[in-house]
Amino acid sequence: MNRILKVISVLLSYPDETQRSTLPEIGPALAAAATLGARYRTLLQKLADDIAACDLYDAQERYVLLFDRTRTLSLHLFEHVHGESRDRGQAMVDLLGMYEADGFGVGARELPDYLPLFLEFLAVKPATEAAELLGQTAHILAALHQRLRKRGSIYANAFAVLEALAAGKPDARLVQELLGIAEDDPADLEALDKIWEEEVVTFGGNAGENACGPDRLQRQYRAYTRKPSNPDITASHQGETR
Amino acid sequence: MSHLLDRLNFLSRKNTGTFSGGHGVTTNESRDWEDAYRKRWQHDKIVRSTHGANCTGSCSWKIYVKGGIVTWETQQTDYPRTRPDLPNHEPRGCSRGASYSWYMYSANRVKYPLIRSRLLRLWRAERTVKTPIGAWAAIQEDPVKRAEYIRVRGLGGFVRASWDEVNEIIAAANAYTARKWGPDRVIGFSPIPAMSMVSYAAGSRYLSLLGGVCMSFYDWYCDLPPASPMTWGEQTDVPESADWYNSGFLILWGSNVPQTRTPDAHFYTEVRYKGAKSVVVSPDYSEAAKFSDMWLHPKQGTDAALAMAMGHVILREFHLDRQAEYFEDYCRRYTDMPMLVRLVRKDGHYVPDRQIRASDFKDKLGEKNNPEWKTVAIDRNTGKLVAPQGSVGFRWGEQGKWNLEQKDGKGRDIDLEMSLIMDDAHDEVAPVAFPYFGNREHDHFQGTDHDSVLVRSVPAKKVKLADGEALVATVFDLFVANYGLDRGLEDGTTARSFDENLPYTPAWAEKITGVPKDQIITVAREFARNAEKTHGRSMVILGAGLNHWYHMDMNYRGIINLLVMCGCIGQSGGGWSHYVGQEKLRPQTGWLPLAFALDWSRPPRQMNSTSFFYAHTDQWRYETLKVDEILSPTAPEGPWDGTLIDYNIRAERMGWLPSAPQLKTNPLEVAKAAAEAKKEPKDYVAEQLKSGGLQMSCEDPDDEANWPRNLFVWRSNLLGSSGKGHEYFLKHLLGTSHGLLGRDLGEEGRERAREAAWHDEAPDGKLDLLVTLDFRMSTTCVYSDIVLPTATWYEKNDLNTSDMHPFIHPLTGAADPAWEARSDWEIFKGIARKFSEVAPEILGVEKDVVLVPILHDTPGELAQPLDVKDWKKGEIDPLPGKTMPAVAVVERDYPNLYKRFTALGPLMDTLGNGGKGISWNTEHEVDLLGRLNGLVTEEGATKGRPRIETDVDAAEVILSLAPETNGEVAVKAWEALSKNTGRDHTHLAIPKEDEKIRFRDVVAQPRKIISSPTWSGIESEKVCYNAGYTNVHELIPWRTLTGRQQLYQDHLWMRAFGEGFCVYRPPIDTKTINPVIEAKSGGRPSVVLNFITPHQKWGIHSTYSDNLMMLTLNRGGPVVWISETDAKTASIVDNDWVEVFNANGAIVARAVVSQRMKEGTIYMYHAQEKIVNTPGSQITGQRGGIHNSVTRAITKPTHMIGGYAQQSYGFNYYGTVGSNRDEFVVVHKLDKVDWMEGPYRGHAGQKEAAE
Repeated sequence: MNRILKVISVLLSYPDETQRSTLPEIGPALAAAATLGARYRTLLQKLADDIAACDLYDAQERYVLLFDRTRTLSLHLFEHVHGESRDRGQAMVDLLGMYEADGFGVGARELPDYLPLFLEFLAVKPATEAAELLGQTAHILAALHQRLRKRGSIYANAFAVLEALAAGKPDARLVQELLGIAEDDPADLEALDKIWEEEVVTFGGNAGENACGPDRLQRQYRAYTRKPSNPDITASHQGETR
Repeated sequence: MSHLLDRLNFLSRKNTGTFSGGHGVTTNESRDWEDAYRKRWQHDKIVRSTHGANCTGSCSWKIYVKGGIVTWETQQTDYPRTRPDLPNHEPRGCSRGASYSWYMYSANRVKYPLIRSRLLRLWRAERTVKTPIGAWAAIQEDPVKRAEYIRVRGLGGFVRASWDEVNEIIAAANAYTARKWGPDRVIGFSPIPAMSMVSYAAGSRYLSLLGGVCMSFYDWYCDLPPASPMTWGEQTDVPESADWYNSGFLILWGSNVPQTRTPDAHFYTEVRYKGAKSVVVSPDYSEAAKFSDMWLHPKQGTDAALAMAMGHVILREFHLDRQAEYFEDYCRRYTDMPMLVRLVRKDGHYVPDRQIRASDFKDKLGEKNNPEWKTVAIDRNTGKLVAPQGSVGFRWGEQGKWNLEQKDGKGRDIDLEMSLIMDDAHDEVAPVAFPYFGNREHDHFQGTDHDSVLVRSVPAKKVKLADGEALVATVFDLFVANYGLDRGLEDGTTARSFDENLPYTPAWAEKITGVPKDQIITVAREFARNAEKTHGRSMVILGAGLNHWYHMDMNYRGIINLLVMCGCIGQSGGGWSHYVGQEKLRPQTGWLPLAFALDWSRPPRQMNSTSFFYAHTDQWRYETLKVDEILSPTAPEGPWDGTLIDYNIRAERMGWLPSAPQLKTNPLEVAKAAAEAKKEPKDYVAEQLKSGGLQMSCEDPDDEANWPRNLFVWRSNLLGSSGKGHEYFLKHLLGTSHGLLGRDLGEEGRERAREAAWHDEAPDGKLDLLVTLDFRMSTTCVYSDIVLPTATWYEKNDLNTSDMHPFIHPLTGAADPAWEARSDWEIFKGIARKFSEVAPEILGVEKDVVLVPILHDTPGELAQPLDVKDWKKGEIDPLPGKTMPAVAVVERDYPNLYKRFTALGPLMDTLGNGGKGISWNTEHEVDLLGRLNGLVTEEGATKGRPRIETDVDAAEVILSLAPETNGEVAVKAWEALSKNTGRDHTHLAIPKEDEKIRFRDVVAQPRKIISSPTWSGIESEKVCYNAGYTNVHELIPWRTLTGRQQLYQDHLWMRAFGEGFCVYRPPIDTKTINPVIEAKSGGRPSVVLNFITPHQKWGIHSTYSDNLMMLTLNRGGPVVWISETDAKTASIVDNDWVEVFNANGAIVARAVVSQRMKEGTIYMYHAQEKIVNTPGSQITGQRGGIHNSVTRAITKPTHMIGGYAQQSYGFNYYGTVGSNRDEFVVVHKLDKVDWMEGPYRGHAGQKEAAE
């Protein structure tokens, strides 16, 4: 088993007693993980220490606020890809199919796209395959990483490591698109405000495709930031008429 | 054509080739997107379900499931076809419904039981050394510990907890509360059972077994039209939407069908192709207005004036100058117009008193049974006074004469006289005074300067009564005089022509409403002409736009009068179509035993929410409306002093309205005390109340002994959408931070209540525990102590019905509830199980003394026939069930509560079932249920009883017991009614006697229900469901005093408040805008506007508006709509942030500036969420409020009347309503947007919130 991915899966799980009892094992596990750079080991150790040092209730409150209640920090991967669109159900079915093909079912009351669950699955896969699969989510990991960092949350550490473990670089355009989504971030008032702007309604050209996904907000955001001096942003967007 | 010019020089086509002779092209685009569509059809199963939103849709949907995951859904199109000529019902379902299914996997979903961490910390600390009850007691009995978590309600701080743990906390809290304060301090609020009746029943069954209180919703939402119970003795009964298609003339009055009734709107469109005419009455250019042949746009809130003027025209042209035969015949048979009203002297003229009764005569007109409840009219054939059959006196205590045959009590044929206008019919012409309110000062409403008392001539007759000679007039003659129609009797206050400026002519109405008089005359004339030609196929669809005003009864009765005088009620294609949130719970009588545990104990505790919240959120302490502002200038002598809450307290102690909590003393102790005193509990309670040994809780709502302690909210967003007076809830009920701007009466030095005790310091935080069940994090969840994750509409089994179509529809579990969610049924079952484990420490089998108000549709409704007497003032003795609430003793078996919850109790065998005044035996059904659901085999209190283990079992209980879904029961029910009326009605159900609809049947296909006497319309091959149909066609009386449509309301309080007859009353002055408030604008340009909260297009009805898709279709957060003119006044441009405020609180929103808005109004569509994009208000220093932040409930004394035939209490039937449209607000531009995010730095708690 890939202990590093499993460690991250544990760290990103709800900080309950089970997790707490696992925390002491993390240090040795990290020490044994020679493949991981020292910097990354420290990052994970710091996160583990922080959770362990936190009052249990405070740790839980923090987790609920960040991951259960903040949409843009959701640990459900498809929240960031499909949002509330109809494609989400099918995507989950496909993911479930992947687990099943490897002989696994979901044993907890969780959706298949829950990141700690996904990481646990990757942990039992061969390293290259795991890195490759993780690479497919790289843009989501990168976006979550940046958002958490902006909040000064120590959970950003886990995502820094995940990014490093993923094969290939995240597609900058995809990351940018995700980050373009207005965040329910308290500090970034301007971002909050911008998604209010109305956009021009367009018809035809598959305008309805994925219309309810998170990119709906991206488009609105882009419509707002679009300036005549910066035509790239529109041009790059799949040739959609605006 | 030039080939050169057509050729492309610089561009190349993406197409790579052609085929079929150039008709087809080959492209090289990626076709990956097609996979989505291919995979869509690779489902494992399709499940039928619907959306249990409160939108009255009840639309059939196909849910596609693969690998246990819902992938998508489409509209189902297999409704049974109704009959030839009628368009199909399908497809039903709208974009809103489709989008909301995705709450299932949304990041907004509540996934685990959540609890406030501060509470959990306290609990675990105590629980390590104490029992559950001991732990809860330790937290509650230490004010510091209690404050620790209640002061941070709404400020985040949730952690997950296990079901076992939260159930234990809830169970301990409920048990502790029942023992310490009384079970009636445990309260539950859940609205609209029809949308998911098993889920509703889960909570109400638990509460009812516990002795807790179920709260009403219909009146609180202000969707209940009190005019309906007043006129028809029925909560609300309306034509189904398909009946619009049978209409010839449709008025949409304050209703916006295309926007708020999307799945039904097609019938409205279709009937217009058939030639029906449509008039839309709406102040703004609404979506419906586009469909109209004529759009009338009166000033908001003046609808009664418009209706009165239309009535004036119709009476003149169809009843007086010419008597339309159909109209006259209809009014004679089906209305109280022929009944006689006593006239009494007051200030030099007469005022109409009550309707005379058989008991007023020496010989009681030969009536021995209930003569004081039998109204009197004149028989045209003999000229004699008669007591016609059908009045409420015939309903109880005798059988066979409660019908609308034209007969008197002796069975003689009669033909009633409607008018005494002919010279030989009256003895004199009496000067009768009618109140006029249109002259009252209001800063924003135009009045006229007519006198407050209008004296008009009415033909009257002298009759000899037991107490001497009296003058009487017919309701019709008084009714016509009230409308200001001159009949040649020379009084100078009635009009001959429509052009005279006298109430209620079209010319007068033009001044009040702004609608040109010619338009009023045209619409009235055409409406009546169509009704005359088609025998009643004129219809009015009306809605919340009219019903949410303080004087909603006048708007409604004005319209009801039009319909009745044109014979439209009870006729196919005609009638009163009030579609405001009631959603008909069609199998009602089957559901009641399950929902209120009537199979184990009766009566349940039920409370009218408006009075409850008015008292317990302390809104009464801020009351600005004085009684003399609404009292009639013609009021009879009486105790018209005090403040509004005093009237409510009087009503509670006279047995008119329910109470919760009921007595200051724990009701579990009262029965013991009675036993010790060796007295019958009812005698003991009456005696102790009189002596002061017992005190009713309503008299001191702020005393800690009278606080509600535990509140359950399920299937509702009480604080987010329906909490009128939101900020008062936060301050007084929850005890957390709030944005209240006004000061209470004590601080203001105004007149205080007489009956209610005053505490200088009002309590902050009455609730010990607030528990909310929801599948999404709503505003109510955010303020709760414990949030329980429920199943969504695709994860549970349930039933759903609507008033809009006659089908019964299931919700079906397509997938298991995601995460830790459970269905409502399972949640309350789990709490019940834990309760039975925890409670025996302090609770055993207990006797609980329950106070029950005088109830409609029971013999008790004949309680106070002639006068109002208050026992507290010594005017009469307290007699339970007669002059005060009835007193019942209910045995609570607390250790066996769980067993009782999961089995059908023995009272079904011994007492049977019934509803609306009739009852029948249910042995067959109990036997059937035992075989369907199985019998309890475990030893104990419920062994051998039918099981109700699962939600499907519960659904089967409903379906088996209800006449609407069990033909055998329907026949029994009609038989029972036939005994009362003396007419055989069973033909309406006999053809369906063997039909039994089961849960799996409705899963297979929506089923049309069976005709039942619970409702006044029928399901047949010939007509659509239309309310009042059986009254008119089967001669079943309306459940009113006269048994007819009651147009004259003769109760003392109705007369005192000037509403015996319908009159125009301008909106009240809520006084929430004053110089102090206006000064808060600090010299910025501002404008004062009327605050209106209609239903929206971007949320599912009134429930949900935090959905991403809906938000992107709108502007993504709270918005208000204002007119261009008003925007200019306050220097606001479209999309500006504005602050909207008054003494009740403040809202922050974006402004939508639109031409469609009427000047003087501001719209904020219902239920925009505080949890989405809401910045802070500079005025309150808190996050901007919701639409209810600037409202406050103001009660109306006439809605408190009880013990009087149709004006007797019924749960969700009658009672005070939470009106909110009379409110005004100041609007100005917000110059600083503050999102107010960040960690909580408030109280000196141990630890700040996260990060």
